[in-house]
Amino acid sequence: MGQSGALTADRLRPLVESHGQRKKKWKTNLVAYAFLSPWIIGFILFSGVPILASFVLSLTHWDMISPPRFVGLENYQLLFSQDSGFWKSLYVTLEFTVLSVVVTVIWALIMALLLNKRVKGIGIFQFFYFVPAVLPSVAMAFVFQLIFNQQIGVFNYILSWFGVKNGPNWLMDQSLVIPTIVFISIYTYTTGQMMLIFNASLKEVPKELYEAAEIDGASAWQKFRHVTFPSISPVLLFNLVMATVGTLNGSFSLIYPLTGGGPGDATNVLSLAIFTSAFQNFQMGYASALSTILFILVALISYLQFALSKRWVSYES
Amino acid sequence: MKNGVWKKTSLVLGAASAASLVAGLAIPAMNAAAKKKDAQVTINFAMWGPVNPKYNFITAFEHKYPNIHVNLTEIPETNYSQKLNTMVMTNTAPDVMLVWEADIRRFAQNGYIDKLDSYIKNDKSLQPSNFLPAFRQLDQLNGGTYGLPWCYATHLLFYNVDMFKKAGVKFPNANWTWQDYENAAKKLTIVKNGQTVQWGSAPIGFPGVWYSLIGSAGDQIVNSKGQLVIGNGAIRAMEWQNKLTNQLKVEPQPAAKNSAVDLFAAGKAAMILNGSWMISQYNSIKNFKWDIAPLPHDKVKYDDLHTAFFTIYSKSAHKDAAWKFIQFCMSPEGQKLIEEGTNNPSAELSLSKYNWYKNAGPNGPTNWNAFTEAGKYARLGYVLLPPGLTTYLTNEFNASLLGQISPQQVVKQGLAQAKQMNG
Repeated sequence: MGQSGALTADRLRPLVESHGQRKKKWKTNLVAYAFLSPWIIGFILFSGVPILASFVLSLTHWDMISPPRFVGLENYQLLFSQDSGFWKSLYVTLEFTVLSVVVTVIWALIMALLLNKRVKGIGIFQFFYFVPAVLPSVAMAFVFQLIFNQQIGVFNYILSWFGVKNGPNWLMDQSLVIPTIVFISIYTYTTGQMMLIFNASLKEVPKELYEAAEIDGASAWQKFRHVTFPSISPVLLFNLVMATVGTLNGSFSLIYPLTGGGPGDATNVLSLAIFTSAFQNFQMGYASALSTILFILVALISYLQFALSKRWVSYES
Repeated sequence: MKNGVWKKTSLVLGAASAASLVAGLAIPAMNAAAKKKDAQVTINFAMWGPVNPKYNFITAFEHKYPNIHVNLTEIPETNYSQKLNTMVMTNTAPDVMLVWEADIRRFAQNGYIDKLDSYIKNDKSLQPSNFLPAFRQLDQLNGGTYGLPWCYATHLLFYNVDMFKKAGVKFPNANWTWQDYENAAKKLTIVKNGQTVQWGSAPIGFPGVWYSLIGSAGDQIVNSKGQLVIGNGAIRAMEWQNKLTNQLKVEPQPAAKNSAVDLFAAGKAAMILNGSWMISQYNSIKNFKWDIAPLPHDKVKYDDLHTAFFTIYSKSAHKDAAWKFIQFCMSPEGQKLIEEGTNNPSAELSLSKYNWYKNAGPNGPTNWNAFTEAGKYARLGYVLLPPGLTTYLTNEFNASLLGQISPQQVVKQGLAQAKQMNG
């Protein structure tokens, strides 16, 4: 009481002011959230709720047309059992993701570097590099099925010029099918989009840095290693994360029309296994359990990518 | 000033009188239109792919029943079953659906489609006894008639007549065995400079053919509970295909799923085992004569029936109109159009004499008896299994031909997969 009695009007003023500031800050935040609300509501309704619903469904047995039946962790037990195809699917998914991300990111970066060369008609090159990326993946799969057909495919026909009489069965050979699909994935929209992003970020690298490096007698590799790479590293991280998430979740649209998961289960990636379980076998509970695992996998890998990025991504201008 | 007021007042009054006159005349006209609209019924109908415009049974129905409009929902074949299941689940299913074999039982058991017994009781031609035996068995299994087969298809042997003549090989017939097929394929394969320029046999054209071969080798394939039953027959079928592909080298390795390449149509292979619906596609072949025969057999003659059933959605608001549409499609008038448009025969025995499906192209086929022959023993087999399981197994069958897995292992894994699906 004595202490509060000692409070004077002067000593109270800063508190009153800070309260006013807080109120103002709160109002500013509220306005910002109001502007963000369409996206937040959309996210909650179309992403948050389905994610939660999928987790709940993973604890049920549901064939889409009869009411769901609660089965606890049965779907997960089934999934982790030795007889299930889950382990093979997981292995194929990780193998395809690592190969595909590495190859497509490097390819997109090389293409972007080429597009940054000062040559005549660069716009034409840019057009031709990007055109395959805007083809629908189903149409592209159809074209590549023809190109890689063992009997009448163009690829084996070209090989025959070099003395390869009976070319390989590219899309049906267990050891070749993943590298073949990885090769095809460099023509997808994701790779084309990465190329454009790299292209834009390369244009932002300060030219003075290159000039300084040249004066110091740096080689082309040294310029790339010590100037280009640090400058575009945040964009590289962005592309790596996007390519990883895109490959883990979206490889279905390329693989399903191309191989349908075959030969055997050589290309049965998790996203394809989810589709088959849900919409061909009507095992929605099992498919939801697979989706939950894929969600955790994507979250873990993305977290790792961000955590490791502290070692190599440079945010200094 | 006064004049101006009068002018305005008379204008307003004039406009008001004109409006009431228009309204007075319009209201009875609108009532008449509303009544007419009430009599007009629109029913929704779902099927995969487009209707052949030359043989459009929907337009013919609308012509006959001008008060019923059929709104067609075309769903891509690859997502057909998935989409129907989703529509049924969300209470948005169309009034009439063509339902595939694997779905009809589930829909019936869960009350999503109506039993048609009360509708067909007064119509002799729609009694189960007038349909192919396999459909009668399905009715018994389902505990009543829940759908009427729109037509039927089987698997057939397609062969290049010109290649057979050139090689001096006898044409395939209904009694051909696997051995006959193998012998012919050997004679029809041409190798030049170490490269095969003509194959005796193309890889299996449609995945379902695998199951017909397995059935012919003695396996039951599906039991009365709708479960997968494969064993030695499957092993035998894989071994035979392996012999053609890898030992005799008269058939190339299988191509990727849904391959865009058809070596038979391209004139690179003398024979192919494929779905009968390919007749309508092969009709455009211009370079060679071709014909059809029943599938070659091993231990028993076996073929698979394919169809879809006209069904009425149990929550339809227009069941009478829906039934009228089905009745028309199953009538001789409707069946004629369906047969001509699909090259598939009617499943109604009383209509088999008309042979409307014999709608050949310029180069084939001529041996239409292949259909009726296959229809005698064809059954609803693997089509009753979940499509995901049969797709999985087909991938494994192909993997066995590529030496990636043994036939015994395929059977073991297939049964394990089926067990997992059955819970």
